[in-house]
Amino acid sequence: MFSYMNPGVATMAVGHLDADCFYVSAERVRDRFLEGKPVGVLGNQGACVIAKSYEMKREGVKTGEPIWDAMAKCPDGIYVKRDFRWYHALSLMMLEAVREASRRVEYYSIDEFYFRAERGRGETFAGLARGLRDRIRDRVGVPATVGIARTRTLAKLAADASKPAGARAVLTAADEEELLDGLPVTEIAGIAGRRAARLAAWGITTCLHLARADRALVRRLLTASGEALWWEINGTPVQPIHERRPAHKTLSRGGSLGGATTDPRILYAWLVRNLERLIEELRYHRVAAGRLTVLVAYKNDRTGQGRATLAVPADRFDLLLDVARPCLRRAWAEGETATHMPLIAEDLAPRGQASLPFFDPPGRRGLAEAVDRLKEEVNGRIGRFALRSGATLYLPAIYRDSANDFDICDIRGKVCF
Amino acid sequence: MCTAISLAWSELPTELIGRHRLERRRHDRGEGGEPEVRFLYRDHRPRLPVWRDGRLQVVRWGNGDRSSRFLPRTGWTWKESVDAGVWRHVGAVRVDIPATLGYERGVWFRIRQGIRGILVPDEEGVAVAYMVCVPATHYYRVMTKSTHMPLLIDQDL
Repeated sequence: MFSYMNPGVATMAVGHLDADCFYVSAERVRDRFLEGKPVGVLGNQGACVIAKSYEMKREGVKTGEPIWDAMAKCPDGIYVKRDFRWYHALSLMMLEAVREASRRVEYYSIDEFYFRAERGRGETFAGLARGLRDRIRDRVGVPATVGIARTRTLAKLAADASKPAGARAVLTAADEEELLDGLPVTEIAGIAGRRAARLAAWGITTCLHLARADRALVRRLLTASGEALWWEINGTPVQPIHERRPAHKTLSRGGSLGGATTDPRILYAWLVRNLERLIEELRYHRVAAGRLTVLVAYKNDRTGQGRATLAVPADRFDLLLDVARPCLRRAWAEGETATHMPLIAEDLAPRGQASLPFFDPPGRRGLAEAVDRLKEEVNGRIGRFALRSGATLYLPAIYRDSANDFDICDIRGKVCF
Repeated sequence: MCTAISLAWSELPTELIGRHRLERRRHDRGEGGEPEVRFLYRDHRPRLPVWRDGRLQVVRWGNGDRSSRFLPRTGWTWKESVDAGVWRHVGAVRVDIPATLGYERGVWFRIRQGIRGILVPDEEGVAVAYMVCVPATHYYRVMTKSTHMPLLIDQDL
């Protein structure tokens, strides 16, 4: 169905919709004062710019930049606090609008969607792209760009090259060549750094160079995943649209510690906070962790690691904490300043399939399960983290700020992240 | 300390703009959008807009220029002091300071509604406004590197 090069003949293609500077656009939906002004959305603890408007981008501010650097580049910038609850609400509205336009939709990320574009009689793909873009603008209030092409990779490249507020269908050989010609090969998701350097050694620097390169050479340089991209940019779809998120192989929670610390009590508090969040996720997906990894990143670029395999996969707080504690001890470097701590659950097994270990006597198990149930019930009624481990009392500022109750990773169903 | 605020142009009545010559405080940020009126503490004549008894007024901001001999030589006060009644004997009343943006140590941050303030008469009966402050939240402290922040109206930052 994708092999046609004549857009007048093809009736199906792949679409990609990407909201333009989504977090800032979402803020502007409820705050018209921000229109036309340089705006930065601050993430995590108020230290970094996680999204910026085109006006701020023009001043040289980059995503991920610390606020003090951004201030110097853009003294007139306005900074707003992130609000993932609001962004999530708008994201779901966009998803609904895309689903109305297509029978097959992938919720790729909070602001990106892939969909099957189907052209009816008398319609054009360019018209479909424009229609969807305008529908999102009218209904959600967010500017978006839509690209339609023969494959996911081409559709994304078409959208990226048409930002902001663009709508473009690229279906003929001439259009594809024009699209690929000027674009650096690093515009393709999955090609950066070392992979780009490997290609550059063979004179492959643009997307068109890659499309024209020998397939076997691309496979040799970039392995099978690189070859898949080669097929994609040559118009053969090999990456499907996932209507449902594939099952997780790992689950993780945690990240920034909200400020550097050398205090082991603070580190332990973060371990417990991240573990409680990880358990919520394990329970949502009805899986138990077979292996747990605790990473601690330090200011001096060193990363400590502690990893342990559980005797039996678990999703219970007491069992996982018993494993996590020694992991933290191994990852901890006394006196060094820690900045980040992710927790990773691997070897996920379906919940309930695991046999109970001999060292988990019924008395202890019953008590631990009762505490877990109580925690879930209270938090379900009163609010997330209302009932939590006392170890987290060392993080009063984190729990006081309700923005920390809902993060981007708490938005479920997305394929990416 | 929050050393400046900015108010969207549309928030100020034309009459008030004319009477207090606020046109000179107008600022156009970026390439478009609504203009603002800036109120800076470091101004030669620092002023603040305040809502009092349902009326928007523009009044003197603090006593940094030492116009008054008995009022504190600052433009801010602690919520704790206000709650403890420290200002009661000088006839202070609570007011709201409308603000669209606040400014501290180089950072302009969005304010949804405004800031709590107090209004006191000096020895000549001239109204003087003070901004009410509280200890900074973790987020505000990281963003501005300041240990205290303005007391915002119905807004967590």
